Amino acid sequence: MGAVGESIRHRRSDFRAGLTGRILDVGLYVLIGFFVILLGTKIGDHGPGYFQQILFFALANGAIYALIALGYTMVYGIIELINFAHGDVFAFGAFLSASLMGVFGLSEGMTWGPFTILQLLAVFVVTMLACAALNVGIERIAYRPLRHAPRLAPLITAIGVSFFLEGAMFLWKGPSNVHYPDVLPSGAGVDALGAHIDIKAITDWVVAIVLVVSLSLFTDRTRLGKAMRATAQDRDAAQLMGIDINRTIAATFFIGALLAGAGGIMYGLSYNTSVFDLGFSAGLVAFTAAVFGGIGNIYGAAIGGLVLGMIQSFWDGYFDSAWTQVIIFTILILVLVFRPTGILGMRVPEK
Amino acid sequence: MSKRWLKSASLMFVGVFLAAACSTGGGGGGGNKGEIIIASDFPTSGADRASGRGPEAGVAYAVQLNATIKGFTITHKPYDDAVNGVHDPQKGAQNVTDMCGNSKVLGMVGPFNSNVARAEIPVANKCNLVQISPSNTNECLTQTFPYCDPQPSALRDASQPNNYFRIAAPDTVQGPAMADFAFDTLKVTKIAVWSDNETFGKGVADNFAKEFTKKGGTVVVRQDFDWKSTNDFKPFLQRAKDGGATAIYAGATSATKGCIPRAQAKGILDAATVAYLGPDGIGDSQCVKDAGDQASNMYFTNAAADASQDPANKDLIAAFSKAFTQKEDTAAYTFPGYDCAKILLDGISRAIDAAGGNMPTRKQVIDAVQNTKSLKLPTGTYSFDKNGDPTGATMAFYKLQGSDWAFVKQFGVGQ
Repeated sequence: MGAVGESIRHRRSDFRAGLTGRILDVGLYVLIGFFVILLGTKIGDHGPGYFQQILFFALANGAIYALIALGYTMVYGIIELINFAHGDVFAFGAFLSASLMGVFGLSEGMTWGPFTILQLLAVFVVTMLACAALNVGIERIAYRPLRHAPRLAPLITAIGVSFFLEGAMFLWKGPSNVHYPDVLPSGAGVDALGAHIDIKAITDWVVAIVLVVSLSLFTDRTRLGKAMRATAQDRDAAQLMGIDINRTIAATFFIGALLAGAGGIMYGLSYNTSVFDLGFSAGLVAFTAAVFGGIGNIYGAAIGGLVLGMIQSFWDGYFDSAWTQVIIFTILILVLVFRPTGILGMRVPEK
Repeated sequence: MSKRWLKSASLMFVGVFLAAACSTGGGGGGGNKGEIIIASDFPTSGADRASGRGPEAGVAYAVQLNATIKGFTITHKPYDDAVNGVHDPQKGAQNVTDMCGNSKVLGMVGPFNSNVARAEIPVANKCNLVQISPSNTNECLTQTFPYCDPQPSALRDASQPNNYFRIAAPDTVQGPAMADFAFDTLKVTKIAVWSDNETFGKGVADNFAKEFTKKGGTVVVRQDFDWKSTNDFKPFLQRAKDGGATAIYAGATSATKGCIPRAQAKGILDAATVAYLGPDGIGDSQCVKDAGDQASNMYFTNAAADASQDPANKDLIAAFSKAFTQKEDTAAYTFPGYDCAKILLDGISRAIDAAGGNMPTRKQVIDAVQNTKSLKLPTGTYSFDKNGDPTGATMAFYKLQGSDWAFVKQFGVGQ
């Protein structure tokens, strides 16, 4: 990574090592403890099974945020760019898959046959590949030419691309909410722990777990994964070792958008709606999740997404939802103050 | 290349517009004293078009039928206050500024949304432009209550006459009317209430909850959502279920995700036994689309009478449907919009008399509209009190049947 990233990291680790850093850490744990106690006082207000039910919603909500957050964090890890267009790639995934449902013979309230799962799988594959192609195209056109430009330049083009995509989706489906067909078998699911786990939640978890595990295997075990990690650590050295930097960065964008595309479908299936500027609001929370977990850290983003989804659902479920956004961004500020590298911290390269 | 295309397209557009303007002018005939413009301001693009186009078409039709008044040619100038498909207070205020600057504009019909009105009233008040809204229902626009922020007096210059009138029943009536309906007719005793946290949505939800509690019912959950960033309503719906709610009241509009919780309730609440209620803001086709396959057992109140319930309006409605054929043209507020235009035209006619047959001043028009006395129109008989509120208003109830909203009943409500 660049010299700026290196110096920030040094400053942060110096800061964290000192006594002040430890006191701040304690402060963070006190706050988490406070939140848990606050929740504890409210648990008794609701019937049996309520807590579990909210937990299931929360995990599904968090799984979606986690998938979007991964794309932010991977791109940041490798080129230190906040890809503002990523949220819109996610929204594009939701839009495209909504249209593809009909193409692949899926419709709201349909009865499921033995091959329906394959049709849904086809929607997943096509949408994910389309999002990936889009993201690689964005990288090629808007970011690669600016790789050696001052850091502000690609940031501005990222915002530009974001607006471009929103505008294109506005023209495509108009400004209204677009109803997303509820193709999953309605009412299906399993009862566990005194609550009902809906098929939507199960889908979210399964897809998220499969993708996150595959991603982690990919980055740890494959040549390309190793190349990605090497490029993230030191781009120049990686190049000297014969790694094709352009290809590696394009692959990072490709994989990030695969996850965003899957996230878009999961979002649609879970909430049954999408809108052209969805990428902004969902992207903001997912980006927060990435920072929360430690931007650049893949596991951090997954956990950050999960935690933010949980905070959101639990706050809605137990407290006053007018405050939900306030709470999420207060937490972001506190994390940035107490642990600037996120809860898991930025992964410092081993020497 | 693309620039040239844009240029020729805009030239063509201007050409068509001019041709249309000339043909209406010519068709009117006898308008030799000059032109009087009636403006309208509604959200007529995007998600909000389903709400805003109806009254706009109503105004257009009223002007078509009254192309000249006492030698003046009347033309209709429509404005759109939607930005990205959602009504926008700043855009509304900008539109009114534009109207103020055009001396031929003697009044406007609109706006549709209460928060837009809040931004527009101060602008229109300064230039004495009369505004008549078919659908603004927020009580704080005209009446002083301790919780109003801003107070109605803060929107107006005390030295100027009141320029703002409306024919819809305020939220102090709309929310409670649905509360009575839910408790008395639907036999709901436990309800969950949410709002989009906007001026209109929160106001109507608060008034609903207040009346519902007063009737002896229980509000098991009361939530306000930041609608732009809220995607997941399931925890709220679960909370409603946990509290034993047999109905949900949404203080929101279709554009602020009003009916999306209905779709998400699938698997949590049974649509057949848990009714979904809301204000006039959800009474459109967008709501039905958003609710998906859970679109049933839904009701909304309309703060104006249903013109089709009066047999005397049969011919008028038939003629209107012939002239305006788009789906959005006929909506809940089409004829209230028509009536506002008629009130304005009636006022202008009397103002012309007051000006001795000449072009009246805007103050004369305000004065004439304020003195509207028992004017019988398709949706009711209208007079205004000193705040600009109608002295008698009607509340109508609609139920979703199939994919269309069907009239249930209506009754007059006093102020």
